[in-house]
Amino acid sequence: MMFDDMKRIGLEACVLIALGALFGLTLNHQLVMDAFSGRLVPQQRQPVQELVPVVSPVPVLLDEVRQLTASGALLVDARNPELYAMGHIEGAVSLPIVEIDDALPGFLDRVTKGRSIITYCSGFGCPDSFDLGLRLIEAGYRDVRVFEGGFPEWRDAGLPVAGEG
Amino acid sequence: MTGVQRVLYHLARLALALVFVYAGAVKMQDVVAFAGHVAAYQILPYAMNYLVAATLPYIEFLAGILLLLNLRVRPALVAVGAMTVCFMAALVSVLARGLEIDCGCFDPGGGQDVTAGVALVRDIGLMALLALTWWLRSRTITGSASRE
Repeated sequence: MMFDDMKRIGLEACVLIALGALFGLTLNHQLVMDAFSGRLVPQQRQPVQELVPVVSPVPVLLDEVRQLTASGALLVDARNPELYAMGHIEGAVSLPIVEIDDALPGFLDRVTKGRSIITYCSGFGCPDSFDLGLRLIEAGYRDVRVFEGGFPEWRDAGLPVAGEG
Repeated sequence: MTGVQRVLYHLARLALALVFVYAGAVKMQDVVAFAGHVAAYQILPYAMNYLVAATLPYIEFLAGILLLLNLRVRPALVAVGAMTVCFMAALVSVLARGLEIDCGCFDPGGGQDVTAGVALVRDIGLMALLALTWWLRSRTITGSASRE
């Protein structure tokens, strides 16, 4: 009797958890699907001229970022200079999207257009890396990718970071 | 069951209900920020943080509502008890690794930093309250020979 009672309570607790999870997944299915497919960036803006072919930065996952940087790709930090100073991916250069108009000419002087570039920002749906990627493609860079997990995923994976901490 | 115990039972049940309804509701407001807090624990793979953030607040909220309504009280206690045990395990792991993070237990955007140590002590209190409510509830059922 006691055992039956406990079994029923356990079963009902499982149903409760399943219902809660189902409820949450129904409301947030897009977010979860984006997280699992590595597509956590907002939809790209509509192009002004439909006839111009639109090239988007290609999303890359953490493992690919490591391989690409090992083979010479340049990591570019799209966050503001204060966040960059506090901590950034080791070897990344700062090109804040908020200062892009001032900073881009200098960047163009330093980095050749044939170089592979990976942009990143604060992860979790931060759009700056994607916007920066688009600006770099417009500026003539041919191989631009976006690391959507950004600084948080890199740091949380225990990979090398630089900055004041 | 004495009158004092009955009052105590309802007080404990309502306190738990408020804790979990509130905890669930504030996190539901900003699932992405909560995913950030879950990620800070550095336990789960990247995308799993989102899965937890998208489901856990709703389970807390639902269990809280059942406690509030005095319905399916013991299953709700088991559900929140199981979750609290998981939180405590996560907090112990955070302390063991020396991470300095906000527990993310309640408002993900509130900026009220609660350290893992404080959160763990609070969870121990919560477990005690859960156990008390369970015990009093069982006495109610035995006393009145009714089912949940």
